[in-house]
Amino acid sequence: MANQGGDPVPGSGSTATEVIGGGQGQTVLYPSSTPSHHSWSASTAPATVSWNYKTDTATENGYPSNSGYYYDPLRDIPNSGATQTNTISTSQNTPNGTQDYSAYGYTNPEYQNYYYNYHQPTHDSSSQQLGATQNQNTGAAYQPLSSFQNSGSSYVGPTSYLGTYYNTGDNQNTAGYQNNSYYYHQPNPPHSYSSYSSSDANSVQSSTVSTNPAYYQQQYYQWPQYYSQNAPSLGCTPGTENSSVTMTATSAVGVGGGYSYPSSQPPPPGTTSWRRDAGTSTLPSLQEKSNAAAYQPTVDQEVRVPGFQSPYIPQMPSYSQNTMNTSPLPTNNPQNQQNLLYSQPLTAHVPPANQALPPQHTVATLDTHRVSKMQIPTNPRIASGLALGVAKSDKENSTVNAAPKPAYVGVSVPKHSSKSSQEDTDSMIKGAFPVALRAYVERTFARCKNDAQRAINQSLMKEMVTKASADGTLFTKNWDMEPLFPLPIDSNEQNNLQSSDLLSSLSKSKSSGRRTKSRWEPAPEEKLVEKPEPVTNDLAKVASWSRPEATERAGSNTWKLAKFLPSQQQTPSNKFNQRPAKKSRFSEPSNVTENGDASSDSDKEQSLTKYYAGAISLANNPEEKKRREHRFKRFEKVQDDQRNAKNYRAKDVGGGSIYTRRASAMLLAKTHEDGASREVEDIDWDALTVKGTCQEIEKRYLRLTSAPDPSTVRPEDVLEKSLHMVQTSPKNYLYKCDQLKSIRQDLTVQRIQNGLTVKVYETHARLALQAGDLPEYNQCQSQLKRLYADGIKGCHMEFSAYNLLCIILHSNNKRELSSLMTRLSAEAKENEAVKHALAVQSAVSSGNYVLFFRLYKTAPNLNTCLMDLYIEKMRFEAVKCMSKSYRPTVPVKYISRILGFSRSVQGEESEDMVMDKSEECEEWLRAHGAVLTVESNGELHLDAKASSSSLYMPEPEDAVAHGDANLAVDDFFTRAS
Amino acid sequence: MAYLSMGEAHRRISSYLASFSDAIAAQDGGALKPLLAVSSSSSPCPLLGVADALVAFHDWPRLVNQSERFSNLGETIIPLLRSLQSYRLRRFADAYASYEKAANSFLQEFRNWETPWAMEAMQVVALEIRLLAEKADRELALNDKNPEKLQSAGSFLMKVFGALAGKGPKRVGALYVTCQLFKIYFKLGTVHLCRSVIRSIETARIFDFEEFPAKDKVTYMYYTGRLEVFNENFLAADQKLTYALTHCNSRSRTNLRMILKYLIPVKLSIGILPKMWLLEKYNLVEYADVVNALKRGDLQLLRRALQQHEDQFLRSGVYLVLEKLELQVYQRLVKKIYIIQKQKDPSKAHQIKLEVIVKALKWLEIDMDVDEVECIMSILIYKNLMKGYFAHKSKVVVLSKQDPFPKLNGKPVGS
Repeated sequence: MANQGGDPVPGSGSTATEVIGGGQGQTVLYPSSTPSHHSWSASTAPATVSWNYKTDTATENGYPSNSGYYYDPLRDIPNSGATQTNTISTSQNTPNGTQDYSAYGYTNPEYQNYYYNYHQPTHDSSSQQLGATQNQNTGAAYQPLSSFQNSGSSYVGPTSYLGTYYNTGDNQNTAGYQNNSYYYHQPNPPHSYSSYSSSDANSVQSSTVSTNPAYYQQQYYQWPQYYSQNAPSLGCTPGTENSSVTMTATSAVGVGGGYSYPSSQPPPPGTTSWRRDAGTSTLPSLQEKSNAAAYQPTVDQEVRVPGFQSPYIPQMPSYSQNTMNTSPLPTNNPQNQQNLLYSQPLTAHVPPANQALPPQHTVATLDTHRVSKMQIPTNPRIASGLALGVAKSDKENSTVNAAPKPAYVGVSVPKHSSKSSQEDTDSMIKGAFPVALRAYVERTFARCKNDAQRAINQSLMKEMVTKASADGTLFTKNWDMEPLFPLPIDSNEQNNLQSSDLLSSLSKSKSSGRRTKSRWEPAPEEKLVEKPEPVTNDLAKVASWSRPEATERAGSNTWKLAKFLPSQQQTPSNKFNQRPAKKSRFSEPSNVTENGDASSDSDKEQSLTKYYAGAISLANNPEEKKRREHRFKRFEKVQDDQRNAKNYRAKDVGGGSIYTRRASAMLLAKTHEDGASREVEDIDWDALTVKGTCQEIEKRYLRLTSAPDPSTVRPEDVLEKSLHMVQTSPKNYLYKCDQLKSIRQDLTVQRIQNGLTVKVYETHARLALQAGDLPEYNQCQSQLKRLYADGIKGCHMEFSAYNLLCIILHSNNKRELSSLMTRLSAEAKENEAVKHALAVQSAVSSGNYVLFFRLYKTAPNLNTCLMDLYIEKMRFEAVKCMSKSYRPTVPVKYISRILGFSRSVQGEESEDMVMDKSEECEEWLRAHGAVLTVESNGELHLDAKASSSSLYMPEPEDAVAHGDANLAVDDFFTRAS
Repeated sequence: MAYLSMGEAHRRISSYLASFSDAIAAQDGGALKPLLAVSSSSSPCPLLGVADALVAFHDWPRLVNQSERFSNLGETIIPLLRSLQSYRLRRFADAYASYEKAANSFLQEFRNWETPWAMEAMQVVALEIRLLAEKADRELALNDKNPEKLQSAGSFLMKVFGALAGKGPKRVGALYVTCQLFKIYFKLGTVHLCRSVIRSIETARIFDFEEFPAKDKVTYMYYTGRLEVFNENFLAADQKLTYALTHCNSRSRTNLRMILKYLIPVKLSIGILPKMWLLEKYNLVEYADVVNALKRGDLQLLRRALQQHEDQFLRSGVYLVLEKLELQVYQRLVKKIYIIQKQKDPSKAHQIKLEVIVKALKWLEIDMDVDEVECIMSILIYKNLMKGYFAHKSKVVVLSKQDPFPKLNGKPVGS
């Protein structure tokens, strides 16, 4: 668990951008102190992998596999230690728990931790420990925040920022940090190194702290101070634009502080953590958060803000808010400094603790360790999500603020539903079912914390069992390995280990979700205005409104590994608390771990799952529920086939169900991957399809980088209007192309494939042809080919002809051409356009220029446009041919007529016209090096013999370095307009 | 299927297992070969009996797992037998899936064997997997499912090719696998995938092409020749297909015919006409009219011949090649006119009026106006099918007095 704190940062990464962002965050953390750190930051993605491995290694004492990262055993051990605390919490004595506690707190700089700590006092000792774990998790969730600067930058320019961003803005930050981190490292050099290399300083730290009771005391004392310091910050925050949100957060802190302080034990650890963070390398993360929380301190922040500001400014008008935010921060600085002061002495205590820890923990909690191990990977994924999300959140502070909130809420309502899972299981499963299934059902119920959840769980289970028995996998399926589907989670659950995980992921999810949204929305700021609710102290709400997007964004791959995760997650919470020594559990996780090769991926997915689960867990407060229900109705159509939809809603879980649906769909996908008997076809893709709600007719095209947001996707009827608008629009091709692309995108994400789709592609293809935009045309053509093949009606023949012409004139691939001709139906061959295309083919093949230009003049549809692009070549060939075969001369007038310079049909043309065209022809001939002479009768002739050696193909005027003139923007504009 | 007693089934399976394991132990490729040929089990062959036994005796995997002697072969032998069983029950897609599993595991073993003793067996596997994939795809297509087995057979064979293509004694087998790959790619229409394999065969210095087995060389040349036809690279196509023709076993008529099917169009386009008896002997009469058209300069005949056999020519991919013969037909036509003029008045024979040609084409029921014919004459001169020039003013083709209609003599038009 301890690892989680550190994990998020390295592990960030579903997409490349995210990874990088995460990596950077890390770098920011430790830059000055560790020289080796740079290499690390450079390749974040590998880091994630190795990270997971590392965990494995710790348990198995095994592989040197880590890809060049310095993973110290030390680090792993701390992890185990942390885990231990969580799992054993019931059995172990309070002091021990407290220790760990502090460790966690240490890891998590955020005020969130504070909240947790406060609440913990209310519970008994064991619950406290759990709380501690929670803290940790939340902290982990937050850590990504530290990386959010980076992610922000990555948002702007993913590739470039690694070098640039790091060096500039972040460096500044680092400078600010340097002192702090320095302090930290001095006391325990070995540790700092190991931790840095692994990028998981937090985990190490936490472990170190945990054993040291003396340490606590000190912190204890400091604790009050801290709070007092906090108080002023409260005053400051209102000044900001975000004030309302911030206020809530801060005030909450204040209250929490008051509460916890009296309760003595738990608070100190929290304090410690707080301090630590401020003082130590964790600082960067702190800063990030601090921005959100507004009360967070740091001199560094000032420096930092400008750094990250710059990337955003162009994009986000709302950014100004951010800047506003910074103003309060300076006020906080004094606090921070004070913290720093305190942290110094604290650090001194650390080393001894570290030494003591490793053996103890490893031995004691092998079991738990493994389980927890599996959890660890989750964080990176979450973190990645966060990194993304944070960038967004930066822009809109309210979001950032929201991040901590949900966690807070969750904690505040401690309620342990003790209803036995057994009962539920019994009610669910009667008669002859495999024992394993029974156990599985029990497991699923075990994690339900209240009746609502149980109800959901029950319906889901029923569905699963029915499905399983339907496809005959009921007895063959390995229920022991079957993943638990993510369940909407109560805030009540905070006592639970699992929930803590979820919560941690929560914070990320909302921010990431938010981020996604912003990506989608043309004007994200509007969104903020529309939803003033975030300001209220229902943090969960804020988090949750971004949730749908988050879920969608996760897409299919992310869920795939869901299987591993839930079971692992589950284990600690239920099995272990109840039966810590259960042997069978042992082997499973470890096996999974041993499969390490695949784990890098799986870890990602695991983490994602958690992230989802976290998102779902938000569902609980009533307002949110209402909103969700509202939103949920949007999906009803999609859910037609979902039998349980109604149940869900009846049970007031509303919005959760769609996600659960998705989860199960993805679960299926996963099962399929595992070689189980389910087929891909069984996946309920409908549940995964976006149903747009946007009513805008006009929409700019923006390439998707994550799952689409229904609110920015237009439904079919709107798209039809959009198409009509484009068709009748007087604007230029560039505009139309953009609009059509966005229409195509909306069609694609909604998986609409019908007459409209064909119409859109046909329209776009024609426009592209008219504009000479072959690449775009080719895209449309390939889509049309598929659509026609699916039997959707359209102008099939017209486009067959285009396709033929395209190959004949522009690809010159004989094999393709003949296979295409083979596929032409008899009916197609009778079609005028196709016939024309075939005639062109034979003209080109024999070089018959006369025929070619006749066909050019009589071309149906837009065949002319395609031929246009070949004309130059054909003319040149023709003149070359003439100059070689004609003697002594050829009249230019004749050439002009033959080579299509006079466009009008023979006989209809007036003399003037012919003269004009002849001049054009003459110009062309001269441009190509032909030698022209004036005959005795005054007519201009081509001197064939002289020309035969002087002809050349002039460099095209619009030639561009990259070879495709269509891509030259200027030229494109002029032609398109 | 005749009734089979349990004991008999048991005996057959056991004996199959024994011979399989013996063949591996003795490294006897010849003995192993027939044991892998699943799809030939319908012909009188020991595998047929085994297949029946497998169908009758459902618990056969136990037999494999029972004995330690077989269990280490289990990874190969169980899917192999399962494939045999499915094949017997005519469930080809299942048979293919199992066979691919067996083949993969066999390939694994094969990689580890230092000597190429199992080359024959490996080749049987390569052949079988293609045949099974074709059958499976047919079955899948019938059931409206995506026929993708041939594709996956292709990727398996690529793996086999990788195991063979390096240095060492196993390279002898590489060409065989290449040919199987060609067959798959041509069938799938993804001939561009051939390129990498070809490069690996032709650029390798360590292994002389001539050292490959003759049958593989012929197959290889046939396919690469066809590729050259697609590229309208007639000289190379001619060379490869001629190689294939001369090295092909003269008794395998179908193979000869397949080669000729491509070689004849290639030869035609470089000006070499086949004898009629050849076309008749190999039942390639669809080319007869094309050849006649070339001989007579009968454009109409050529067009009709092309139209009549359009589908056939398109499918084999020679249509575009044959279409290009038009210019040679024009050349022949003008030459005939020239000869006739020469008979009437040798002094003016080298001047052919355009209207004469237009008239001649009209007789052939081809309606072309003066401009177009002028263009054709111009092209004939340009492409060196005629020597001379065209006088635009007087609309006369003036032919060179020396060799006005040069023969192609094995060179493609326009070179």
